[in-house]
Amino acid sequence: MKEKKLKYTLISTASVFCFLLIWYLIADVFKVFPSSTFPSPFKVATAFVRKLTVTTPDGGTLGKHLIASLKVVLLGYLLGIVIGVPLGILMGWYRRVDLIVKPLFDLIRPIPPVGWIPLMILWLGIGIQAKATVIFVSAVTPAIINAYTGIKQTNPVHIWVARTFGASNFETLLKVGIPSALPMIFAGLKVSLGASWMALVAAEMLASTEGLGYMIQMNRMVGKADNIMVGMITIGLVGALLTYILETLEKKLVKGGRNK
Amino acid sequence: MKKKFQNSKTETVVYFICSLVGLLIVWQLAVSFTSLQKVMPSPFVVLGFIGQSLTQKIGGKILPLHILASLKRVFVGYFLACIIGIPLGILMGCSKTGKAIVKPIFELLRPIPGLAWIPLAILWFGIGETSKYFIICVSAIVSIILNAYAGASQVDQTLVGAARMLGAKPAQIFLYITLPASVPQIFAGLQVGLSSSWMAVIAAEMIRANEGAGWIITTGMESGNTVQILAGMISIGLVGLLLASLLRLIERGLCSWNIQGR
Repeated sequence: MKEKKLKYTLISTASVFCFLLIWYLIADVFKVFPSSTFPSPFKVATAFVRKLTVTTPDGGTLGKHLIASLKVVLLGYLLGIVIGVPLGILMGWYRRVDLIVKPLFDLIRPIPPVGWIPLMILWLGIGIQAKATVIFVSAVTPAIINAYTGIKQTNPVHIWVARTFGASNFETLLKVGIPSALPMIFAGLKVSLGASWMALVAAEMLASTEGLGYMIQMNRMVGKADNIMVGMITIGLVGALLTYILETLEKKLVKGGRNK
Repeated sequence: MKKKFQNSKTETVVYFICSLVGLLIVWQLAVSFTSLQKVMPSPFVVLGFIGQSLTQKIGGKILPLHILASLKRVFVGYFLACIIGIPLGILMGCSKTGKAIVKPIFELLRPIPGLAWIPLAILWFGIGETSKYFIICVSAIVSIILNAYAGASQVDQTLVGAARMLGAKPAQIFLYITLPASVPQIFAGLQVGLSSSWMAVIAAEMIRANEGAGWIITTGMESGNTVQILAGMISIGLVGLLLASLLRLIERGLCSWNIQGR
């Protein structure tokens, strides 16, 4: 069994290695495409190191852009989940709230968050408010949907038990509904995070003066593909890191459901 | 029991209409009596604009043709994502060697959001249609692969064992067990992929295009025309909803056994 596992690990390593090798061969050895549009992995790595200190051509180091992006995304995301999760829980638990809010929510939901960008730019300018609002819109939808579904899936038997022991409706929600919806809520938080990160990139590409999305867009205009790839890799890495943090938090907070 | 069900259904419809009318009234009142009117047109102006643009041209084309242009892009990119993504996902789910080869590369590329590919795509393929197809394909393919993979790897091994015991060849097992069993999961992925590709086309058109639904809202922004932006957003939402319902209909036709079982 262990030997088999080793075999697949080897194949995986070889696969990643081959991927990089083919990339290198196409870019540097055979020069299929000009290196300005298709840089080799080594060029991208050098560009990555260089971008940590050099500000040209987009007016900021990688760190500065990263911090600018993180600030916006965390603001919008936190607002989105602070409003979205409780709203979803209320919609799932109280039928009256559900009947009033759900139709409004269903009307607004089909519009992709990216579609809000022009309106927000027109209303709020290209500063942090417009971007944070767009990210809020993209984070709030999955947060609401998952909290709602999580509450709706509460096992009725557990609710009856709480009722039998004399818990009030609100107590039942607090002690039964929310804990059993937590795994679902956390799944929503993860989807929200991915959606916010994507909305951020789109918003920064359209109208911004700093941030990772702005950085890749500016480098596109001057035709520096190595810097674009540095930006993309950073976006991917930070996105993966944020998801990892959320997963660690989930393991700490969510009890049960994992031992199945 | 049945009567109660019907009651709750009519109640839902009544509340839906109430909140829709409520929204329109609040919107209208806010526009008529507060300073919001400087930045926000009344709902009827927006609806009127949509009706008008069915026959009148915006930037050389009427609104339905703009939407059709976007839909064409989505169709090509999405179709590409399906024919690459589904087999790749199934391969990862069925064969351990295939999984060992494809999964690490997929995991490396997956965290990069589809929209982050836009600058590179424009640099590689120019500002024409090819770069848009590429972006749509990249955005849609992730969830398609993931779900096809999940579907194929969660096949009930008892069924596979039973088929093998009865002398089925690997090809038969694949065709009669693995494939049908993963169809519901594949459709879940197709549904998510479709909405991501609709979003991707809007984003791609907002950044560089001469036509399409995304183009309508960005030109609205550039000329400060809130009516046009809102009309564009409403039509984008409606088309997105329509696409999702269409796919659900196809799913109902293709795997009715799964829906009945729910």
